Amino acid sequence: MNAVEIKNLSKNFGEKQAVCSLNMSVPMGAIYGFIGENGSGKSTTEKMICGLIPKSGGSIKLYGKDYIDESVRASMGVLIEAPGCYPSLTVWDNMMLQAHNLSISNPEKEVISVLKKVRMEGAAGNKYKNCSLGMKQRVGIAMALLGNPTLLVLDEPLNGLDADGMRIMREVFKDIVRDGTRSIIVSSHLLGELQKVATHYGIIRHGKMICEMTAEELDKSCRCFVALKAEEMGKAKALLEDKYLKVVKDEAEYIRVYDSVTPEEIVSYLYNHGVCVTEIQTDKIGLEEYYIDLMKEGK
Amino acid sequence: MNNAVSFEKRRFKNRMNSMLKVDFHRALRSKVFYILIACALIMPILMTVMMAMMDGSVSVNQQTGVETVMRGPENAWQNLGTLPGGESMGGAEIFAMCNINMAFMGVAVFICLFITDDFRSGYAKNLFTVRAKRGEYVISKILFGSLCGSLMIIAYFLGSVLGGAIAGLSFELHGLTAGNILSCIIAKICLMPLFVSVFTLISVASKQKAWLAICGSLGGGMLLFMTVSIVTPLSSTIINALLCLAGSALFALGLGAISKLILKNTSMV
Repeated sequence: MNAVEIKNLSKNFGEKQAVCSLNMSVPMGAIYGFIGENGSGKSTTEKMICGLIPKSGGSIKLYGKDYIDESVRASMGVLIEAPGCYPSLTVWDNMMLQAHNLSISNPEKEVISVLKKVRMEGAAGNKYKNCSLGMKQRVGIAMALLGNPTLLVLDEPLNGLDADGMRIMREVFKDIVRDGTRSIIVSSHLLGELQKVATHYGIIRHGKMICEMTAEELDKSCRCFVALKAEEMGKAKALLEDKYLKVVKDEAEYIRVYDSVTPEEIVSYLYNHGVCVTEIQTDKIGLEEYYIDLMKEGK
Repeated sequence: MNNAVSFEKRRFKNRMNSMLKVDFHRALRSKVFYILIACALIMPILMTVMMAMMDGSVSVNQQTGVETVMRGPENAWQNLGTLPGGESMGGAEIFAMCNINMAFMGVAVFICLFITDDFRSGYAKNLFTVRAKRGEYVISKILFGSLCGSLMIIAYFLGSVLGGAIAGLSFELHGLTAGNILSCIIAKICLMPLFVSVFTLISVASKQKAWLAICGSLGGGMLLFMTVSIVTPLSSTIINALLCLAGSALFALGLGAISKLILKNTSMV
């Protein structure tokens, strides 16, 4: 049984089709990285999962039950777009409201516990409107964590967080899915950060799921390359382009050779042509590059 | 790895309880709530005392030369309605409108701000993610709004009595009984759910737009406003209260169902 099973989901806003026959499977215990360009339909899909907007067609099942089932819905945590908090109330009051909303039996204890998790216990008395962007984001995540939700839906949760905040969130996410039953759907444009935690990925484009894969599958799909620097970069690049299929210069001024070749072979080849290699290493493209390549292929 | 997941089913009573707790917790921390209750208490005191002070003063229209003698209230109960064979309150018509029924307008402002704030702040996302049944939200708002309205009615009543005492007005009942006054107040309280369900419907349809909700509610409320003094006169009996309760319940059910339908078929964000 999957935590989320979506079949042929669609959503129309007037004549505009925001989500079109989308299929999506989020296994239990997964941190599902939901990726797509701006306006690709990520947030719309998440809002439909949370029942915040009515769907135009298709089906959504959460843990094998219909998505409007009261018992499953009561076990969801959500952070979509911006945290839903009353600006004039304090962080503590906002958290307590959500604790009451979830019928948590010992609300004070639970609120303290989640505020500690996101390192916000010292700011509980602050009015929400006076919190910084990062603090607001932490409050939003803390609110989503209240009541140990079985399914977390987080839209851009890492926005505005500092490096320490991102590290804390990574730990929190990994801790949540540790028991193998709880799942998280995270959409983020910070692909490097997402890659550090996600166990599964779904890439959406123009409202359609273009691919779903596990982190292992992504790892296998990501091409290896040899990156190097030489004394005469221009000559080295021209020589490599003559011999290998894809040779490019990256942002850090390294020459990348995408081919099944070892660094030794390249060093020897360039040395034989009078070019001395100063730096060389093998690497793999990351999620970000994989995603950009995929988008380019689509175009 | 244990893959068994069990979900606890919350009963309707628990869900309603939690929804009401959210509303009460929030209202008790909101300034608007206290301001409106304070206004309902202070307004009749100020009005009665000021009107009593102006009693007998003459104002002359500079253009026509017509003299108008200001008449203040003679009886403390005039703040609640028209006494048998008398005027509602003095001779100044504007004050005749500003009696206890103004509480219904106060409730309109409170309900509109209270509901639209759920959508403006984005808190509606938290509320509606964990509860699929939109009806609970509507029921809670109608119950809570009616209670707030009742508190305003009671505050206005107390203010009227205090104002009357301060201004030294008569508490003569002119053939009515204390039971009539009590029934009148109870009937107004019973009528509150009718008004609150109208304001709730307009507010859920307006979502984030507080100005639209307030304008719509005050406009819609005005249409019903006149009926309040007719169905809840000072000479009310328990029958008036029961009829108001029955009418309110019917309206609240019907309008509540429409509000629920709107919430079910529209976006919450």
